[in-house]
Amino acid sequence: MAQNLKDTILNPILKGNPISVLVLGICSSLAVTVQLKGALVMAISVTIVTGLSSLVCSLLRNTIPNRVRIIVQLVIVALMVILVDQILKAGESTYAIDKQLSVYIGLIITNCIVMGRIEAFALGNKPIPSLLDGLANGVGYGLILIIVAFFRELLGSGTLLGFRVLPLSYVPNNLVILPPFALILLGCIIWIHRALDKDLQEK
Amino acid sequence: MNKIFEKGGKLHWLRSTADAFDTFLAVPATVTRKGSHVRDAVDLKRIIIIALIAVIPAAVFGMWNVGYQHSLAVNGPSATPDILANFWYGFLKVLPLYLVAYIVGLVIEFGTAQIRGEEVNEGFLMTGFLVPLIVPVDVPLWMLAVVVAFATIIGKEVFGGTGMNILNPALLTRAFLFFSYPTSMSGSSVWISLGKNEQLVDGFTGATPLALDGAAQYSTSIWSEFLGTIPGSVGETSTLCILLGAVLLIWTGVASWKIMVSSVAGALLVGGIGQIAGITDIPCWEQLLLGGFAFGTVFMATDPVTSAQTETGKWIYGFLIGALCIMVRLFNPGFAEGMMLAILLCNTFAPLIDHVVVTSHIRKKFRKFKTA
Amino acid sequence: MNTNSNIYTIIYTTVVVVIVAAVLAFVSMKLGPSQEANVKAESLRQMMAAAGIESTDNLYSSKNAEVLDLYAANISKAYTVGLDGIQNGELSIDRSNIELVSGLKAQNKIIKDNKAGKDNKDNKTATLPVYVFNSGVCVIPVYGAGLWGPVWGYIAIEPDFTTIHGAYFDHESETPGLGAKIKDEEWFREKFAGKVIAFGKEEPFCLAKNAEAEGADNAVDAITGATMTSKGLNTALNVWFNAYESHFEKLAKETEPEEGQAEDTVAEDIVTEYIVVENTVAENTVAKNIVEE
Repeated sequence: MAQNLKDTILNPILKGNPISVLVLGICSSLAVTVQLKGALVMAISVTIVTGLSSLVCSLLRNTIPNRVRIIVQLVIVALMVILVDQILKAGESTYAIDKQLSVYIGLIITNCIVMGRIEAFALGNKPIPSLLDGLANGVGYGLILIIVAFFRELLGSGTLLGFRVLPLSYVPNNLVILPPFALILLGCIIWIHRALDKDLQEK
Repeated sequence: MNKIFEKGGKLHWLRSTADAFDTFLAVPATVTRKGSHVRDAVDLKRIIIIALIAVIPAAVFGMWNVGYQHSLAVNGPSATPDILANFWYGFLKVLPLYLVAYIVGLVIEFGTAQIRGEEVNEGFLMTGFLVPLIVPVDVPLWMLAVVVAFATIIGKEVFGGTGMNILNPALLTRAFLFFSYPTSMSGSSVWISLGKNEQLVDGFTGATPLALDGAAQYSTSIWSEFLGTIPGSVGETSTLCILLGAVLLIWTGVASWKIMVSSVAGALLVGGIGQIAGITDIPCWEQLLLGGFAFGTVFMATDPVTSAQTETGKWIYGFLIGALCIMVRLFNPGFAEGMMLAILLCNTFAPLIDHVVVTSHIRKKFRKFKTA
Repeated sequence: MNTNSNIYTIIYTTVVVVIVAAVLAFVSMKLGPSQEANVKAESLRQMMAAAGIESTDNLYSSKNAEVLDLYAANISKAYTVGLDGIQNGELSIDRSNIELVSGLKAQNKIIKDNKAGKDNKDNKTATLPVYVFNSGVCVIPVYGAGLWGPVWGYIAIEPDFTTIHGAYFDHESETPGLGAKIKDEEWFREKFAGKVIAFGKEEPFCLAKNAEAEGADNAVDAITGATMTSKGLNTALNVWFNAYESHFEKLAKETEPEEGQAEDTVAEDIVTEYIVVENTVAENTVAKNIVEE
């Protein structure tokens, strides 16, 4: 059991990473990775949403009518997303970040990772492993987001978390700020990930 | 080849590099031993050498023009038309660009060949020769180094090196430069070479005719557009010199005349429609003389690796490039020039065009076979 | 229990939806006021940044309550005007009940409909806000469409009712590093200070490529690489300046009746300058031709 739990937590972060292996949730990772701060908030939000909705769906897993299960899951995910969005909007210090992330917080609902984990894991497992699985997937997603955002903010603005890191004489690279560069970075991350992990290489 | 580079030898790990220099300087003694192979005098090395010769007129003229535009900008119309001095000035300006492009590109090329244990190929000789001709002459050298490295790795080596790339590497370099550092790639001051303390004379705008046509406040004589005595990136201004290169390329069969002809046709069609519809005042044939159209059509679009391979496909591919280029010029206020975007876009479509051509051909044959 | 029967399904979904709705309603009720306070404080920050009351960084690092205090201490009056330039409403400036005109989008539509000569069906009259600070600076909003979403901002105008004191711009989703510069780059905002709004002209302000080079004092260079955002902002500025035109001309006449004439000459100066500018362009072309030959 302990081994199982460890796998549940580590697998989504490394071998079964939702972005770099399953290639899910690409859209938002292109959109919110211009600045590290936004990516961090997004990562936390997604982690909370996947964790809580997996937990709730797992609790309800024996009562959900099979025919409408997707709709019920969707309602639960939507509830979590709206809650996160409302709380971000209400907090004095999070309001500015929420404005910067604009629609992408709301769009977490369309993030395939959330629904994917509920369907694939939460509906067939006990609440605690489901919660951990959801959280771990959120972390796996967030990790990639933060790596991408780190490079994009560093090279594109010369700052990290809004603080100037590179000297003012550094000329910001505009391509880095444009969404295609996030795709190139993601490609590089997948490349490195696969090069390091022999199991992931396709024959 | 020297023994120490052979398998088991001390310097075996350096064999790619050694091999590259060896075959570059001498004819290799090894031949294919089994199976049939085509005997032809034309190989990659020769194609590239012919292409290089074809670009030389445009390059030489470009260097002179850099000096000429510079003296116009600083001294005004009274500038002494000293051909040699102008050429020398331009040569000194362009030489560092060449050094940077070649050093960065070749280091990456040798490095990746070394890592993969493959032979180094000559692909970068051509790319490196084209890159300085299509960027602003005053571009900071470090910027050039960054984008050349980036384009070579992401645009070419990732796909498997010369011959496997989807996008034209030289053009990709320019695209990366354009999107990475837009302020040093657009506007009216970047196309003229200026020293640190030099001032523009009054009334000299320095913008390319294409950029100014958007604002409709410019008229250059057709003759100077054809000769190339206008501001622009080094190699693109002189339609005459590019035509000389085109003749050589077509005569030797290195580049496809179909792509060039259909590209011109596409440009004329869209340019003509734009002219009739009153979108632009530029006559459609003048579009061919402006900006990078001629250079792109002759040297970039015809790149045998990234263009369409089928004969019908070449017509479609060329036509799309010409049409898209003028479309961007006419309809996108953000970009004065559309050649780079048009060629890169069509590069990505080339495999699809080929696929459609081949499958439709097969279907046609199949139908014939059925009826018979 | 048969979880697949129709009755069970219907009851189950109903219960789930009711619970979710209840939770959301509760949360929205609880958080609503603080969300509104955030939005209001944000507008106040931008307004005061434009009016130069505090630096933008300070404003953004201070708490909402401090922002409200600062506003209440510095505002002298706030009111709304119609498109005819006549005041048609008061806005409370009391610390406990600060009123702002929030629906800029709706106002923008009324202005545009009016310009196009359309009767707006609801027969709404514009309520364009004017915030007058103790220093005599008036702040007005501008609003328009950028490349991806709305762009808006606040323009502070000096007591002479033509010179711009400061400006602040914001956007919903412009491209970071390109269009987003209207908000992020301080040098862009600072360029507006000291410029003049040429009220009375069809385009009172000019935000365009190389506009400054032509020397007019109502022009600011567009941001390189952000053509569409700059264009949108230019339209926003001109549409709203036109809408406020009658009001500010009235104000200028009221406060300085004897200098009314001087005002006219200024306007004339601007017009002549424009012609000169056009001549320079022509000359440029001529000069260019000479150079070519």
